[in-house]
Amino acid sequence: MILAVLFANSEGNILVERFNGVPAEERLHWRSFLVKLGADNLKGVKNEELLVASHKSVYIVYTVLGDVSVYVVGKDEYDELALAEVIFVITSAVKDVCGKLPTERLFLDKYGRICLTLDEIIWKGYLENTDKDRIRRLVRLKPPTEF
Amino acid sequence: MAQPFLKKDDDHDDEVDYSPFLGIEKGAVLQEARVFNDPQLDPRRCSQVITKLLYLLNQGETFTKVEATEVFFAVTKLFQSRDLGLRRMVYVIIKELSPSADEVIIVTSSLMKDMTSKTDMYRANAIRVLCQITDGTLLTQIERYLKQAIVDKNPVVASAALVSGIHLLQTNPEIVKRWSNEVQEAVQSRAALVQFHALALLHQIRQNDRLAVNKLVSSLTRGSVRSPLAQCLLIRYTSQVIRESASNTQTGDRPFYDFLEGCLRHKAEMVIFEAARAITELNGVTSRELTSAITVLQLFLSSTKPVLRFAAVRTLNKVAMTHPIAVTNCNIDMESLISDQNRSIATLAITTLLKTGNESSVDRLMKQITTFMSDIADEFKIVVIEAIRSLCLKFPLKHRSLMNFLSNILREEGGFEYKKAIVDSIVILIRDIPEAKESGLLHLCEFIEDCEFTYLSTQILHFLGIEGPKTSDPSKYIRYIYNRVHLENATVRAGAVSTLAKFGAMVDSLKPRIFVLLRRCLFDTDDEVRDRATLYLNTLGADGAVEDMKEFLFGSLDIPLVNLERSLKNYEPSEESFDINSVPKEVKIQALAEKKAPGKKPTGLGGPPPAPPSTIDAYEKLLSSIPEFANFGKLFKSSAPVELTEAETEYAVNVVKHIFDGHVVFQYNCTNTIPEQLLENVTVIVDASEAEEFAEVASKPLRSLPYDSPGQTFVAFEKPEGVPAVGKFSNMLRFIVKEVDPSTGEAEDDGVEDEYQLEELEVVAADYMLKVGVSNFRNAWESMGPDCERVDEYDLGPRENLAEAVNAVINLLGMQPCEGTEVVPSNSRSHTCLLSGVYIGNVKVLVRLQFGIDGPKDVAMKLAVRSEDEAVSDAIHEIVASG
Repeated sequence: MILAVLFANSEGNILVERFNGVPAEERLHWRSFLVKLGADNLKGVKNEELLVASHKSVYIVYTVLGDVSVYVVGKDEYDELALAEVIFVITSAVKDVCGKLPTERLFLDKYGRICLTLDEIIWKGYLENTDKDRIRRLVRLKPPTEF
Repeated sequence: MAQPFLKKDDDHDDEVDYSPFLGIEKGAVLQEARVFNDPQLDPRRCSQVITKLLYLLNQGETFTKVEATEVFFAVTKLFQSRDLGLRRMVYVIIKELSPSADEVIIVTSSLMKDMTSKTDMYRANAIRVLCQITDGTLLTQIERYLKQAIVDKNPVVASAALVSGIHLLQTNPEIVKRWSNEVQEAVQSRAALVQFHALALLHQIRQNDRLAVNKLVSSLTRGSVRSPLAQCLLIRYTSQVIRESASNTQTGDRPFYDFLEGCLRHKAEMVIFEAARAITELNGVTSRELTSAITVLQLFLSSTKPVLRFAAVRTLNKVAMTHPIAVTNCNIDMESLISDQNRSIATLAITTLLKTGNESSVDRLMKQITTFMSDIADEFKIVVIEAIRSLCLKFPLKHRSLMNFLSNILREEGGFEYKKAIVDSIVILIRDIPEAKESGLLHLCEFIEDCEFTYLSTQILHFLGIEGPKTSDPSKYIRYIYNRVHLENATVRAGAVSTLAKFGAMVDSLKPRIFVLLRRCLFDTDDEVRDRATLYLNTLGADGAVEDMKEFLFGSLDIPLVNLERSLKNYEPSEESFDINSVPKEVKIQALAEKKAPGKKPTGLGGPPPAPPSTIDAYEKLLSSIPEFANFGKLFKSSAPVELTEAETEYAVNVVKHIFDGHVVFQYNCTNTIPEQLLENVTVIVDASEAEEFAEVASKPLRSLPYDSPGQTFVAFEKPEGVPAVGKFSNMLRFIVKEVDPSTGEAEDDGVEDEYQLEELEVVAADYMLKVGVSNFRNAWESMGPDCERVDEYDLGPRENLAEAVNAVINLLGMQPCEGTEVVPSNSRSHTCLLSGVYIGNVKVLVRLQFGIDGPKDVAMKLAVRSEDEAVSDAIHEIVASG
């Protein structure tokens, strides 16, 4: 299951935080853990270069995209490689929505569209759609082109 | 739409970081949500308000029940709008608001209309929303549409229904299981994602039917799987089938191995990796099978993608634990990973190398690690230190370079845990490798010259006192020790005085000089330091036997410190000096329980070894000192104390159950709380008529039980060897009571026999189980294998909630919950709990409990047990069945 998707700005403030199957009392802990992980390791990292960590049986893949950092947490079948796939879908779809690498302002301006995009990519902890062009059509309620 | 925003950006160059949500406030947004009720809907404005609501929710903001209901009702009005963008937003916000069952009805009809709409995308989204908010009754109503949707031509609709199925399977399995045929059809879909989702759902539906899973794997491994994601799933299911069928075939050929090997040549890296990992995790994997997998993992080690490098080194690290030789070919690639920017990768590479490295590569490796250590966090460093410690024990000839490495990093900056790990490692190496002793002790001496942790300084001083005098030139350590007397805090100074005394006692040539140093300590500002100096000067200077003096300095204090403390507090200054022989030696059980609590307080310096003995060690020592129990063999388990009296009664009694293979000993801890009474010849009369398999063999009375000085009496039973016999015992405390004159403290000569009824005591199945955790349950489970697996289902009847049921089963079995699975999220309808333990006879047991709760709070449980002995697996089921 994909346990969490989190977007933060360069100061570590949360922009989007979506958890699946994580008890409410553990969310704050995860939030601060991820933000610290980013603060410790993301300095100087190139856009979309993936970093990876594991904590017990949970995997974390994270990266930088413009002014925002993106974190994906998973377990079981969502191991580091599956999460790399998930984060790739997320980053390409977000870039697609923003038209370029997002600044914090641009990200917030496109907030509604980004929420819809995430809703198409992950639903309750499972990866649902992977192709950015299809996702772009789906958030506009248009059927996929191959259909 | 993008244009105006860009323009806006240009206009506000200075405010580039200005957030459109700056100053957003929940109350105001809820006010704004009234716009949903307007007769003339403005779709753009409504979308903006929904975005704000989403922003609040994504920040962790919560709505009260009333707020959520109000917003939800307002949102339902938006179904009137035909604006596509707004409709999409409505679907999302309804899912986020998760309306309660009684509110759902408001949108059901709108959503059902969308679900049967001709617009495909309405259908897909309505399915997802309905499945999120539905309950069992509604699900039956829409089941027909969902089954149709699974085989819908539009892949988005099919995927929506399939992923919904995966979620609904948790709550309504009996309904979803009826969709097998449709899901089976979807597995053959030409759309890659539909196939992926269908495969995941089909496997979940059939996971308990080995034959069906086998059939599924057989057909798919022959056919074509379209997406790499689905292929990965298939590999996982295949390795599951291999594991389960391996024990049935003795031909030597591994079924489906060719498929796994074929996947190593797949074009997607994800698939290659999954296959390689599956091969390395096969039971009894041969080196020939390993070679092909390790070759591809080795290629991944030099991949440009960090995730691949991480995955490969993580897998190789695991392989190195069982097959270190197989991994040695990758050593050169792994060495280059030591400088990897991603520290997780570098640490994994180092610890793998330390496992696989040979003696000749140690020096080179240490050089590389030195540069690496400076820029990783302490938690990574500790992992590396532990790996180095094992390496040094493996190659004792290399102690010089490894010890140098440890001493170098000891001088660098670091937190307490890190420094402690290094010191512990050096101490272990000194103990295990005699050649390393002298250099190791000097490194420790140099460390205490500039050590900021009192705990570590005192531990090292204590260790120096024991090991230093036995070296070839003990005098060289004195300077370091005596420096502590000048430069440190009182605790360390006192420790240093004790250490000096030990050198004086052991090395005759140093004795006169030690006297000079100790005399200087008589003027210390701290009482304890002065007292110690006085004590040691007198002890060392006395004419008594040398052996007595050494016993005093080096022998362990055989009196529990709490007893000593209590006796000292009770001692009133008088002409008669305090007699240490009057301190009771029996261990008071509460004191042991207290010791278990965390706390790094240094123990008595110059006293017993630093680590306090664990409870079980203390019990073992206590029991083996009693001749009647000496031949019972090894103590398997001691229970926590069970109170047999209520609080605040005249006599407080609790009992500890000690389990041996063929015996059980009850240790009754008694306390007399009446100052005017002295109890003598205290015994417990045990009636075992409700414990048929137990026969009393011995009873050890307590000779005297004065006021507020706890003591123990024991009763031992024989039971069939290795059998987890259970039973109920009733207890009666019997004793002779003598009156005590409070003014003189003297007891009368004559006493009266008396009895005192205690509570009943039970020996239960959990007493035969040791709580022993495993670090990675899944690995342990898989490596245990299904040979002795027993699975069955139980109805636990009505329960308050799932958490209560989970706790009840954990307590019944007395096992250790793993990976935090004992915690049940509130309002969960299902839960999996993982337990681990060691059963009597030293048989490892793993348990997987799956709980489900239905409407009227009836809890059902599926219990899967794996152990090293099928009789034990059966025994666990019997415990649950009879519990």
